Amino acid sequence: MSAEVFNPNPTVFAPLKAKKTAHSYAKPNSIWLDDVDRADEDEGDFDQSDDPEAIDQDEIFGTSTGSLRVHYIELTMTLEQLAVVSAPQITFDPKYPDRITVEFTPTVPHCGMSTFIGLSIRVRLLRSLPQRFKVDIRVKPGSHQSEHALNKQLNDKERVAAALENPALVEVLEQCLSTAGRTASEEEA
Amino acid sequence: MRVLIQSQRFTVFSIIDNLVAHQREALKGMGDEFIRGYVNLAEGEKDPRNLMLTFAIDRVLLIEFEVDKFIEDFFNITFCYFPITFRPPPNDPYGITSEDLKATLRSCLHASPAFGKLAVPLFLEKLNAGSPLTKKDTLDTLDVCLPVYGPAVAREFARKLWNALKLEIFQPTDSVTEEKSLKTFQVLIQTIYSTAKEEQNDDGAIEGLAKDACDECMEILGEPEKSQAKHAIKVLCAFMSTTPSVARFTLTRAVPHFVRLFLNPDELPNRAPTLRLLADLIEAARKSTSEDPEVLPDEGNVPLSLYKDEVLGILTVGLKTPASAYPAIDALKSMVLTGGLLTDEELGFVVHNVDEVLQKDDEESDLSDVCLDLLSTISSFAPSHVTGNTLPLLFSTLSDTAPPREAEAERVKYWRTLASLKKLCMQPDLFETLVVRFLTKLDLLCVPTASIPVTTEEDLEPAAAYAHSILRTLADVLSMKIHQGHTDVVKYIDRLIPRLYNLFIYSALVSQERPMAATEPRLLVVAAQIVTLVSQSLSVSRQETFVKAVYAAYFEGDVSGLVDGVQKIPTDKKFNPFEPSASTAQKNLLVLFSAAVVALHKDVALPVPDEAAFLDHLLQWISAYAENALQREALNHLVAAVVNRHADKLDAFLSSSVDAFWSSQIADAAQSTEARRHAIGTFTWLTKALLVRGHASAMKNVDRLIELFDDESVSWDAARAVGRIPGADKILTKGHHAIIKILYAQKYTNSVLPRIVEGAKVSQSSRQNAYLVALAALIKSVPKSTYAHQMPSLMPLLLRGLDLPDNEIRAGVIDTLQAAATSGDKENDAVSEHATSLVSTMLKNSLVSQMPSVKVRVAALRYLATLPSVVRYDILHPQKATVIRELAKALDDPKRVVRSEAVEARTNWLVATPT
Repeated sequence: MSAEVFNPNPTVFAPLKAKKTAHSYAKPNSIWLDDVDRADEDEGDFDQSDDPEAIDQDEIFGTSTGSLRVHYIELTMTLEQLAVVSAPQITFDPKYPDRITVEFTPTVPHCGMSTFIGLSIRVRLLRSLPQRFKVDIRVKPGSHQSEHALNKQLNDKERVAAALENPALVEVLEQCLSTAGRTASEEEA
Repeated sequence: MRVLIQSQRFTVFSIIDNLVAHQREALKGMGDEFIRGYVNLAEGEKDPRNLMLTFAIDRVLLIEFEVDKFIEDFFNITFCYFPITFRPPPNDPYGITSEDLKATLRSCLHASPAFGKLAVPLFLEKLNAGSPLTKKDTLDTLDVCLPVYGPAVAREFARKLWNALKLEIFQPTDSVTEEKSLKTFQVLIQTIYSTAKEEQNDDGAIEGLAKDACDECMEILGEPEKSQAKHAIKVLCAFMSTTPSVARFTLTRAVPHFVRLFLNPDELPNRAPTLRLLADLIEAARKSTSEDPEVLPDEGNVPLSLYKDEVLGILTVGLKTPASAYPAIDALKSMVLTGGLLTDEELGFVVHNVDEVLQKDDEESDLSDVCLDLLSTISSFAPSHVTGNTLPLLFSTLSDTAPPREAEAERVKYWRTLASLKKLCMQPDLFETLVVRFLTKLDLLCVPTASIPVTTEEDLEPAAAYAHSILRTLADVLSMKIHQGHTDVVKYIDRLIPRLYNLFIYSALVSQERPMAATEPRLLVVAAQIVTLVSQSLSVSRQETFVKAVYAAYFEGDVSGLVDGVQKIPTDKKFNPFEPSASTAQKNLLVLFSAAVVALHKDVALPVPDEAAFLDHLLQWISAYAENALQREALNHLVAAVVNRHADKLDAFLSSSVDAFWSSQIADAAQSTEARRHAIGTFTWLTKALLVRGHASAMKNVDRLIELFDDESVSWDAARAVGRIPGADKILTKGHHAIIKILYAQKYTNSVLPRIVEGAKVSQSSRQNAYLVALAALIKSVPKSTYAHQMPSLMPLLLRGLDLPDNEIRAGVIDTLQAAATSGDKENDAVSEHATSLVSTMLKNSLVSQMPSVKVRVAALRYLATLPSVVRYDILHPQKATVIRELAKALDDPKRVVRSEAVEARTNWLVATPT
């Protein structure tokens, strides 16, 4: 990664608080408040019903892309803080539920980190999504000067595979990915 | 000196050290000759042992001797060692650490103000070029040196120091260095401005570095949404706790700037970050004033009071939009907490505005939480505004009748209001209002007015659920109050408890004619908690009168001493819950009887003629007449509590009655399995009560339970009981004044665990399984330290436990393995030894196709996620490919919690590489 600073003073966004779907004590389909005592004596806080829960954009954002970090200058920020990725930018193909498009927005149009950001998103999703999904990664239209080349590069299997054989690149990549996942969100909590 | 070896040089320095200590005047008389000689001796010394001595001598000479002429020599023999990079060799016999050297050297460096001009350039050089460690050392040293070197030196190098520090503050490499830089900057400003009156013109304006730095920051703060603004505000916040004049100056620059920015229509989208910065500044200002809590600043003497009207103005505007409301509330909280800043009237104004936010917040957001936090902060010192404004508002949203079953939205609304009240009403005045309002509400809900004709098909469940939520709220607030040691809990034995008994006894009696909402068992359970919470905080004598009234009601049917309330207990019906023929509703009220007794002090005598006979009666009652789990549980608790307090007087009961109970109810295979299970439950509680107080007969009872392992029909129940006996519970606690001996769980484990291990190894299969069940239950209920040292021998047994066809046991075993793996170092050998079988078992338990229980899948995946960090890679390597392939399937689990654990586990395995 070059030491050039592409955007020394980026705008920081407060992370959007996910709306709580319901109060923790309000169980669906029950008119009773959860009894605290009883709850921790038996099964704990797991929903024991067998209804499957489908993977949605919030989940992909939450477990996968939101907490990725990027090293800007000396300080590190998550992609979410810089509004590079957001939940609404993850879309499902209405015809094929297994096709996902992830869009991201570089902070400045000449950002040289974009390829790398795209690659880290790709790798994280490769690791955390079931194999049946096909992921398209794109730059938000009009947000980068070499948008077309970037999109092509990020969705080219061969080139992604080649990049992942470059040990130096993989090392930086692992660093970015190391803060993803639970450890990172716990630190922030 | 150079030709001498270390030990000889050490002797030389020791002699000088002694001379300096005892013959200081004589040495002073020698004048320059001594100083010159010493400098020559000390020059070029390299051995840490000697340096410790020379540094000490240096300091004395610098402070006490005339050394002005030699300051450069001293500079050379001290500063050449800075920064200390010495690292002691392993197994260093002399025990000199790098920290020791740093500390003694530092004491030399700030021994003389004359070093200033020579030293600061050196520090600057180290700051610009050094490694992170050197930087931190330099910053710490500057902190102690600058005040000694004095304002003149500080002023001379102010610009250069600021430039160096600025780099660390605005482009921090790590948070520690950033913090230290801010600290050093504070010291610098303090040094420059603490004494200097001349820096300050008549109108209080500040010249020099503070002004320049402030200007720089203000320019950056022109764009509050950018990331640099966060650093700039940190500098300004650091200013707040330097000198009063600098703090005041900073506020006069920054606060009007933020107010202007906020009101500028072009900056509308940046209101939230602007308020965030302002909130940080106000908080810093508050911290700087509240250092001395004894001295309350006078009204108007707080630096911020000049601007409080404008600031309050923009903050209340900021409250109106959700994004800026969070920082606005933070800022308001800091203002409210600043002593002497806001008048009582202004507090009222704040409360009023926050109430509006609270009312408008329809979505489930955290905004209400922070609002309530602010309101309860205010209520801690000015409750009148909250009781007068906020509480009526909240109560008015609670309807007097329960919303019907299908009105989900209204139900969520009252839940939310109750949750708000729960957070708010800890403060005694507020709690009193809460109790009064809630009691009225309960009466309205649970007792239908007489005019309405009795309709049997009326749906009472919504009303019961509503009442349950209200009682739950009361219980939660009470428990928090007790936790914080509030003393006003005691008075509710007169104000709250009689009303509750009244409501429930009345309902139980009337329910023979018409259905009553308050006969619902779930309500009784919560009410019982309230009774116990209040009674546990009573004194011995008050408990005595209370328990007498309870006994009179339950055994003699005389409720007059216990109840109080609007509804008159009907006199034509008899309250006799212990009568075998009593209605279920009456028998259920035993829950409230037990609740009154479980928290008694041991000095409180039960108002019965013979405790042993009383307990015997209870035991028989449980097996003969108890109709449901609720009644059984209540009486089990009651028996356990009484036995725990008075076991020393109950020898007869503990031998003959318990023996009889065992042989007739448990050991007798002619009894139904169901009945035997219940009796084992009672027996478990009895044993638990004896065990925690260290009574000898507890172990005798355990022996009996182990005998049952051969009995097919109840062996698992007995095994679980053996495991659960030492577990923590909510009845026999210190808070309830139970008699508890320390380390009882330790002793229990020491005696039972070897028997279980032995038993699991040698006996036949069905019996073996019972031992495994006991083991799983035991390690789940005792602290980890009690069995940690046995982990290697437990490991194979636990692995076998994972094959038992019981998901609850499996999840428990995995949790235990998890706890063992994540902590400690010794037992990791045990993990490594069994890694291969652990991995394959966990994989089997983590896939939905083979394991239906979500809980087990989650536990297994968590364990898999930990393995790579506790087991050497080469052991795991052969299975890596399998694990990654199998976990790919878990990524597609139907449950979200499982998927997220699978992602975590798979990532950990993917990145695991040979180290």
